[in-house]
Amino acid sequence: MRSWLAGLRNISARSFHTPAVPGSASDALNLIRSQPSQYIIASIVGRKYILAPRDLLTVPHLKDVRVGDSIALSNIHEIGSREYTLRGDPTIPSTRVKVDATVVEHTKGKMEVVFKKKRRKGYQKTIKNKHPYTRLRIGQIEIVDSQP
Amino acid sequence: MASAVSSTKHLLRASLRSTPANGYTSYVPQCRKIVLSFCQRFPSSTNTRTFLLNDLERIAKKNPHVEFVVKQRNGQEPVAQGFYVSGRDKVIPLNGFEPNGIEKKINLLLDSSGAKITHLKRGRVVESSQESARGIWSGMHVDKPFVI
Repeated sequence: MRSWLAGLRNISARSFHTPAVPGSASDALNLIRSQPSQYIIASIVGRKYILAPRDLLTVPHLKDVRVGDSIALSNIHEIGSREYTLRGDPTIPSTRVKVDATVVEHTKGKMEVVFKKKRRKGYQKTIKNKHPYTRLRIGQIEIVDSQP
Repeated sequence: MASAVSSTKHLLRASLRSTPANGYTSYVPQCRKIVLSFCQRFPSSTNTRTFLLNDLERIAKKNPHVEFVVKQRNGQEPVAQGFYVSGRDKVIPLNGFEPNGIEKKINLLLDSSGAKITHLKRGRVVESSQESARGIWSGMHVDKPFVI
């Protein structure tokens, strides 16, 4: 089985006053965890979002979930803090970084009215549409401790 | 003429209050009561009466956190009203629907959070009350500051 460490593409450190770039991904994760706040870039339903804990994310209606259910985000592309970033290749394994999202509601958006017309042809139609959405509350970003 | 500048910044009380984040550590269902009103005689309430006799008990058992009220309103059209924790309510008329359509409308009330329906596509995809983890870019805190 290919080591997950070989799959991680990029470890970078920003800012001139921080120490040298951490050598291994475990060190990077420890540095990221030590900082006060973190963010992730995760893809849900094929779209990428920058997410932080306590965010409310609106995605198109998810069929298989009910309100109150908890979803584990499986495609986390990047995790970072103020000074450090860890980018996966293409994703960070979910054994290392765990983020849950809770389904808060299934709702419909405002009524959108699309009016189509071709002039002098007698063709016109009105399309009314209320797009269904699912809203997710992003939970805490858990960076699993590699050395127990 | 120039007044003495105070070095202490006043901590305003409103800055210490917490913002609600339902679903972050615990999820509280937002729908608290559903009132189903129907008429005993009018044919527009026939399907509602069928639904109340056959399906309501099953749905009420599946959602023990919701109070279901059946209200007789003779001479009026059948209506479902959902009451939410936010104090708002949603009203859905039930005439013209078959019993399974009425069930779909009840599920719509149960899934909703009671928030006002707004446009959710642009600008409200990720709603965050957190400050950015990476901070805001500053031209004075870069590795190579711009030199004229």
